[in-house]
Amino acid sequence: MKKGRWDLSRRSFIKVAGLSCGYALVGARMARESVAAVLDLVGLRQQSVYGADANPKIYALRKSQENPMVKKLYAKDGFLAEGPCGHHSHTLLHTHYKDKSMFIKALKKKGIELAM
Amino acid sequence: MSEAIKKKSAIQSMDLSGVQVDASGAVRKMEGVKNTIFAPGVNDLGNLYFLEVDHTLCQGCGECAHHCPTGAIQETEDGTRSIVDPAACMNCGQCLTHCPYGAVTERVSYVSEVFEKLKDPDTVVVTMTAPAVRYALGECFGMPMGTYVGGKVHSVLRRLGFDYIWDNEWTADVTIMEEGTELLERVTQGGKGDKPLPQFTSCCPGWIKFCESFYPDLIPHLSTCRSPVAMLGPLAKTYGAEQTGKDPKKIYTVSIMPCIAKKYEGLRPEMNASGQRDIDATINTRELAYMIKKAGIPFTSLPDEEPDPILGMSTGAATLFGTSGGVMEAALRFAYEAISGKTLVDPSIKAVRTGKGINKVEVEVPGFGPVRIAVVSGLQNAAKLCEEVRAGTSNLHFIEVMTCPGGCVNGGGQPMDDSILEASLFKKMMARVNKRFTLRKVA
Ligand code: SF4
Ligand code: SF4
Repeated sequence: MKKGRWDLSRRSFIKVAGLSCGYALVGARMARESVAAVLDLVGLRQQSVYGADANPKIYALRKSQENPMVKKLYAKDGFLAEGPCGHHSHTLLHTHYKDKSMFIKALKKKGIELAM
Repeated sequence: MSEAIKKKSAIQSMDLSGVQVDASGAVRKMEGVKNTIFAPGVNDLGNLYFLEVDHTLCQGCGECAHHCPTGAIQETEDGTRSIVDPAACMNCGQCLTHCPYGAVTERVSYVSEVFEKLKDPDTVVVTMTAPAVRYALGECFGMPMGTYVGGKVHSVLRRLGFDYIWDNEWTADVTIMEEGTELLERVTQGGKGDKPLPQFTSCCPGWIKFCESFYPDLIPHLSTCRSPVAMLGPLAKTYGAEQTGKDPKKIYTVSIMPCIAKKYEGLRPEMNASGQRDIDATINTRELAYMIKKAGIPFTSLPDEEPDPILGMSTGAATLFGTSGGVMEAALRFAYEAISGKTLVDPSIKAVRTGKGINKVEVEVPGFGPVRIAVVSGLQNAAKLCEEVRAGTSNLHFIEVMTCPGGCVNGGGQPMDDSILEASLFKKMMARVNKRFTLRKVA
């Protein structure tokens, strides 16, 4: 884990960037330019995710299909014996979606402008 | 197995009787973010705001609007900002995490209800923790950005008195089995009929609401798989109840998320596959930190522990769900072997990890040819791919979408350190100056 100057979180970083960018008549607006740097901070968390995945002391296995408790779930005498996407899976683990565009249309009708 | 688990949690949980539970309606600062104690039910979903701008704190800088994917957060008469309508808001919380003044607040917090359930000896309270939480919670306790604290998360939850430490990483692995199999079905059928290609991932509730609101014609492209937490809820109350011998009606499921949109997902009416509400409460990383601090548990000195394996054991593929590109990589680790019948020797598929915005990659699978995939984070970027799919010009097989730039590690429920915000008098002075420049006078 890198430490030091990057050992900051987003909001502090925005403030540091904002403040060090000069006496910010536009203070927070300056933060926009630091968005790329903020993404680097998020990069630290991402790096840590990839590090854990590759660390056998944290994850002995790296493929979902090898998880013993997943195998147990789908085993012949298991809870989801039909296997993935079987009938029981479909009732418990799958879903359906609903068109919600009418709510957006209603807002637009009221004169509200959106970015989309 | 179940006996051993029961004993373990009983020994280690702490006495919460001294913890003063905040009353409903109370406003509390949780890791620098104002939050209102309020535990809505499914019937409250209609016009529910999950976020709201505090107009006394808003300085009118517009940073929130700059990060809002839908344009839902807009300028009001006096120059402050406001969310125009819950229908326009995807609940991603990017406005909140980017506000330099802490003016965007949360309106829904189940923290008190969860404390009450933990105190009630009759309720079997189980955890459903998302991958990304374990890469950020440490920051709330002074640990460096990104420190992995997975083992401590399990042990702190046990000490808080949760009866079973179940984990969304386990259902992330299950999701790969379901969603990977669904993808193979679609590919085998040539993407015809009601199962078109490309298939979109469905684990991010911000993206799901976005697709339903702005691209309803693409709904058939969405994987029908529930998200990992929306799989764990019903599995906890059926399979989990069966395995532990508990009455499903007494099981209370707590979704612990890096996210605000997951609170919305938990309340979606169809989340009742178990015959009851699948997800009883949703809290985020900041709220978990608040609970730990309130209970006075010294987080950093906790030992590392394992989750309860039956609905908790996971693989590296599962933890990748916390980052943009991760669901895709995990799915490819499965699809590669399922399609080719060969062993994927190096599970790291680095090609899907690079890139910002939109990342399109072809992965060669023996016996099939190129699998064409795209990884995208940020809904503005997702919209571009949606346009391609809508126009019929996309030749992709599978598209992963996450609302938050970089994925859930950057979710709207993750911690931010506002110590500088709080401490700097200079900043407060500047804020006043800024306010004069950016806010319009109301006549
Ligand atoms: S939560 Fe997301 S969609 Fe809603 S107003 Fe904030 S940035 Fe916009
Ligand atoms: S990317 Fe993750 S944190 Fe962000 S809205 Fe989607 S599920 Fe929530």
